[in-house]
Amino acid sequence: MYGENIEIKTINLNRISERQKVDSFLQSQDLILEKDVDYTIAMYKNDTIIGTGSLCGNVLKCIAIEPFYQGEGYSNKIISLLINEQFDRGNTHLFIFTKPQNKKLFMDLGFKEITSIEGKVSLLENDPRGIEKYIEKLETKKRDGAVISSIVMNCNPFTLGHQYLIEEASRNSDIVHVFAVWENRSIFPREVRYKLMKDGTKYLKNVYLHKGEDYIISNSTFPSYFIKEKNSIVKIHAMLDIQIFGKFIAPSLSINKRYVGEEPNDPVTNEYNTTMKEILPQYNIEVIEISRLKKEGFVISASKVREAIKNNQIESLKQLVPSTTYEYLISEEAKTIIEKIKRSNK
Amino acid sequence: MEIKKVGVAGTVESSDINIVIEPSNELGINIYLQSAVMKQFGRQIKNVIEETLKNEGVENAVVRAVDKGAIDFVIKARTLTALYRAIDSNDYTWGE
Repeated sequence: MYGENIEIKTINLNRISERQKVDSFLQSQDLILEKDVDYTIAMYKNDTIIGTGSLCGNVLKCIAIEPFYQGEGYSNKIISLLINEQFDRGNTHLFIFTKPQNKKLFMDLGFKEITSIEGKVSLLENDPRGIEKYIEKLETKKRDGAVISSIVMNCNPFTLGHQYLIEEASRNSDIVHVFAVWENRSIFPREVRYKLMKDGTKYLKNVYLHKGEDYIISNSTFPSYFIKEKNSIVKIHAMLDIQIFGKFIAPSLSINKRYVGEEPNDPVTNEYNTTMKEILPQYNIEVIEISRLKKEGFVISASKVREAIKNNQIESLKQLVPSTTYEYLISEEAKTIIEKIKRSNK
Repeated sequence: MEIKKVGVAGTVESSDINIVIEPSNELGINIYLQSAVMKQFGRQIKNVIEETLKNEGVENAVVRAVDKGAIDFVIKARTLTALYRAIDSNDYTWGE
């Protein structure tokens, strides 16, 4: 198509040697083949890689073309193939992380900038009204008050610790907006996490629960959260996610406080919390860090719950989760998830 | 004719156009166009998309189009294909 020696192949990501070739090409372009990609293509000229691109969920990433071949339509070819693969998978709302100096290329391909961290990263989406539509939806749920707090939670699953944090916020605020992380990469499916949050906070009349969708700690705004590996990119991803929160989400509901649980163990979440304290005050949002709820000396956390399930200490769960979550965990419905946790190595 | 799901056709390569047709909760046909030749042909491209959809009896839809210099009958063909996919139809009536 572009001369006889150009060939495009799908990379078999299970083969380390193939991955390594793409990775070293990307490294020559100041990028890496990120761990969580689930589809990768490479463009070859005479068996040498001259371009590549990958997917991870609804995100296009790790895209690069050898500088010598830039400006000849090769990148459009790669991006077209990636977009078509996404559409075949049923994903039509797409995101791209790219360096700010490259964003023009993607904007010419129908992507629109959501926000940028200067000199570091830009986040774009292919729906011209994507974030606008989410904001409009949130605005319909706006409630009046002087102190309007927010919490973002994954709740894998909902524990007494989560309940404690929400209660604290509820007691000290007029309104509390709780956002459930909507990325479906945790062992408890998002509908279950959402339902347990709902059931476990029903008695708090000033608490409103929302789905975080694509714009709050999702694969598109904060991919590091799901990779769980601390490196220099975590800070940048955190800045991006928090900037979106400060710039778009908080104003739509007049949020002026964000509650967060102290994070002693997970370095990625810890970095996120630190970054939050740096950025949110610029948007007039106060960050309130609450010490974790402890019982008999140990911190209550969702990972403790999963550990107890794994060790078959079902009775001990009563000390970790509210009755609403406990009822679910011993129900018929939860059986497959419980089995999955028991078999996992985490 | 009612749009039930998202329909897609075309690419973002030179001389082609990528068309995404989605259900809409607003009235009318709303077209969001990104084009390499926006200044020269933006209005014309939108007209072709809108006419093509109206001829098929579509009243409400959101269209996202990324044009790389496609000529009119490419735009028409891509629009029709995206539409047929959006309504899950195999009942093509090409060339009418």
